[in-house]
Amino acid sequence: MTRGVALFVALADFAARATSAQRAVEATLSAQAIVIATHADPIPDGGTLTEVRVVQPVVMLDGAWRDYLLLHTTVDFEGKTIPNGELATGNWGEGFIDRRHPHTYFHEVMLSSPDVLRSWTRLARVTISAGKGFVPFGTDDPMSRPAERYPVNHHLSQILERGVAMIAIERGMVTGEASLFNGDEPQNPGQSPNWSRFGDSWSARLMLRPVKGMETGVSRASVASPEDRGGAGPTADKWSVSARFAGSWARTPVYGMAEWARTSESAGALVYYTVLVEGAVTVGRHQPYYRFERTDRPEDIRTFDDPFRTVRPHLDNSVLGITRWSVHTIGYAILVTPRTARFEARPLVEFSGGSIKTISGLFDPVAVYGRDTFWTLSVGLRLGWGMTGHRMGHYGVPMKTAMPMEM
Amino acid sequence: MVRSAWFRVTTASLSLATLACHDNASTTAPGADLPSGGTVAPLFVASVPIPPAYGIHDTFIRDGIAFVCAWNTGVMIYDVGNGIAGGSPASPKLIATYATASGAVNTPSVHNAWWFWDPSGGKKYLFIGQEGPGSIGTSSTGDIHVVDVADLAHPAEAASFHMNGAGTHNFWMDENAQILYAAYYNGGIVALDVSGTLSGDLSSRVIGTIQFGAGDTYTWGVQLYNGSLYAIDMVSGLWQIPLNAGRFATPRGGNNVPERYSSDLGVSGGYAYTGTWGALPRQQGVAGNVVKIWHLDQTGAPTLVDSIIAPQVTTISDVKVSPDGKLLMFSTEYGPNGGFWFYSLRDPAHPAYVADYLAAGGTNGIHTAKFATINGHLFAFGAQDPGTPALIILDVSALDN
Repeated sequence: MTRGVALFVALADFAARATSAQRAVEATLSAQAIVIATHADPIPDGGTLTEVRVVQPVVMLDGAWRDYLLLHTTVDFEGKTIPNGELATGNWGEGFIDRRHPHTYFHEVMLSSPDVLRSWTRLARVTISAGKGFVPFGTDDPMSRPAERYPVNHHLSQILERGVAMIAIERGMVTGEASLFNGDEPQNPGQSPNWSRFGDSWSARLMLRPVKGMETGVSRASVASPEDRGGAGPTADKWSVSARFAGSWARTPVYGMAEWARTSESAGALVYYTVLVEGAVTVGRHQPYYRFERTDRPEDIRTFDDPFRTVRPHLDNSVLGITRWSVHTIGYAILVTPRTARFEARPLVEFSGGSIKTISGLFDPVAVYGRDTFWTLSVGLRLGWGMTGHRMGHYGVPMKTAMPMEM
Repeated sequence: MVRSAWFRVTTASLSLATLACHDNASTTAPGADLPSGGTVAPLFVASVPIPPAYGIHDTFIRDGIAFVCAWNTGVMIYDVGNGIAGGSPASPKLIATYATASGAVNTPSVHNAWWFWDPSGGKKYLFIGQEGPGSIGTSSTGDIHVVDVADLAHPAEAASFHMNGAGTHNFWMDENAQILYAAYYNGGIVALDVSGTLSGDLSSRVIGTIQFGAGDTYTWGVQLYNGSLYAIDMVSGLWQIPLNAGRFATPRGGNNVPERYSSDLGVSGGYAYTGTWGALPRQQGVAGNVVKIWHLDQTGAPTLVDSIIAPQVTTISDVKVSPDGKLLMFSTEYGPNGGFWFYSLRDPAHPAYVADYLAAGGTNGIHTAKFATINGHLFAFGAQDPGTPALIILDVSALDN
C-alpha cells in the first residue's frame, strides 16, 4: 500500500509539472479529512462508547489530457485511521455492523474519454469510463453530502469500489448510464476487486434535469453475490428513485435530496427498503443541515470476539432478522477560514437519534442493545484543501455537468 | 469500551448459562485452558478440501459412500470405503458431482441429504434439502430435490417438492414405512410418501403437516424414535409427536427451552440430546453453547435432566449419538473452541467428557458432524467452515467404549 501511495504522489507531482509545461495536460489536487469525536449510546451490549478518530482522509487527483482523457483518482487512508471502522450505530456493510467500514485505499481510479463521438455527431455526448470506482446507481456517496455520519442505507443506495466499465450518453436534460462490474464488495481496505467476476453484475441509471439545479434519477442494478467474494451468495436486485436540488433560493444556497430504494435478494426472499430526505442551507459561513431516513437493515451473525463485526462469508444465506431504523440527524457546520482560501476549516456538531423496530426474524434489539432507541453525538473539524464539491459516482461528462452543492 | 460477553462466552456468561440450567446438575466441558483432547484422542484420518462456494454444509454416509453437501457446487459423491472407486476414509475418491436445480432460490444451495434404501432393497433415490435465504424465526425458502443415484456416477434429478412460504431443513426417513419426515422451519414438519417411483412434483404425496403455533414454529430437525417423531424447534424447543400410521397425533412437550434458541437433536437409549444456537442472544448474556439432556419417560415425553456447557463457543450446530449408543458427539462454531466434542454415554443422563478435536484456525468451526461405521471402525465426518472449507474425517473408534 505504501508503494501505491508513493506512486500516487509521484504521479501527482508529474501531473503538476506537466501542467506548468504545457497546458494540454492539467491536473488538480485536493484533499480533506475530518477529526471527529463520537459518543454512542447504546452500543451492542447496552453500554456506551466514545471514540476520537480521523475519518474520510482522502487525497484526490483530477487530471485531463485536452478533452480526450479524464482521470479521477481518490486515495482514501481510512484503512490506516479507522481500521476497525467508524463508530456509527445502525451502519452496516462489508463485515462491519454499528460501525461504518473503512474504504479501500484506492477508492476511485477512473479513466474517462468524454464525448468520444464528437467527430461524428452532435446529437449526444457519449462518455466511456473504466477503472475502479462507483457504479452508476442510486444517489451520491455520503462523503460528498452535508452530514458527517453515513446513513444506514449506504449499501442500499450506492454501489462502490467495484471494477467498472460504463457508458454515459447525454443529450440535453437527459443522461443515461449503463455499466458492467464485479459484484463482490471489498473485504478489507487493501483488497482489489475480484477481477475474475467482472461482468457478473450490471446497472443502469437515467437522470433528468428538468430545471436548473433540479435532478431526478431512476436506477436499476443486479449485483451478484456482493457479500461472498467467491460468488456463492444470492444476487441483489436493486432499484433507486431520487430527486435532488442544489441551487439558490432567495439568493441563498440550498440543497435538498429525497430518495427511495429497494434491494431484493434471491427473487424476493429478503427485501429491504429505504426512504431518505435531507437538506442543507448555507447562510454566510453557517450551514445547518438535517436528514431523516427509515431504512431496513439485515441482521447478520456477529463474530465471537467483536460485536461490531459480522461473519464473512455467510454460512447459509439466511439473516437473523430485518430491522427498520428510523433516524433523525441534525447538524451544524461553520466555515472559519476565509471564503476564498484554498484551505478551509469547518467545525461541526451533529446529533443522531432514532428507534429500531424488528420487521422479521428473531433479532431483538432489546436483547442486543438493552433498548430499542439510540443516539449519537459527534463534534468534529472538517478540513479541506482545494475541494470543489466533487460528486462521487459521476465520471467524464456527467462529472462536469453534475451540479455540486455549495458547502 | 464497555465489554460484554453475549457473544464471547466468558466466565460471567458461563455463570449465566449455568444459572439458566439451575434445575439440573450441570456438566461443564473443559475450558480452553485445558489441553485439547482427553486420555484418548480422535485420530485424524483425512481432510478433503471442498470448493469455497460456500463450502461444505453437511454429509450423509452410508455403506462407505459419503454424500457431501457442498452448497452451490452441488452434492459431491465420494467413495470413502465402499470400494467401487477404490476409496477409503484415508483416501476418499470422488465418484461424481451433481448440482441440483436452483428453482426460485436461484442457487443449488445443497444443504443436507438422505440416501433412501427402500424395504425391497432399492437404493435409487437421494433426497436433498436446499436451503435458500430466510429470516430466521419467520421465513425460509428452499425445496426438496430427489436425485436418482441408481448409477452413482451419473446422478440425475427425478422429482422435487415445494412448499409455498417455507423452506426445508433436516430430514429423517422411516424407511420401512417409506415416509420422509422433513423439518420445514416456519412450515413446521412435512411427511411425504416416498414409496414407488418418484418423478415430477411430489406435492400430491403429502401425508401430513404439523406446526407448533404462530410465532412458535421454526423447526430445525426431526428424528423417529420408538414410534414417535421428536422435533427440535428453534423457538419452542423439544416436542414429541406420536405417530398413527405415519400421521401426526397431538404433539407433547414443547415450550421447554425459553432462554435460548434450539438447534439439532439426537435421540438414543431413552434420552434425547438437543443443542442450542447462539448467533444472537435470546436473553442478554446467555450464549447458545449448551447441550440439553432429556429423559424420555414410558410415554416418550421428555424431561430435562442435565446439560453440558461448551466454553468459548456460541453455537452447538449438530448433535449425534453413535450407532451403538455409547458416544455422544456435537459440533461447535463461532469461537476458539469450534470443532468436534465427544462425550461418553456410559451414564446417558450425565455424559462424561472424553475428547475434542478443534477445527483449523481461521474458520468458524465445524458446521455439522456425522458418525459412520466403515470396515469395523467408527468415524466422525465433519464439515469444516470457511475460510478453509473441508470434509474432516476422524477415526473415533478408541473413544467408543
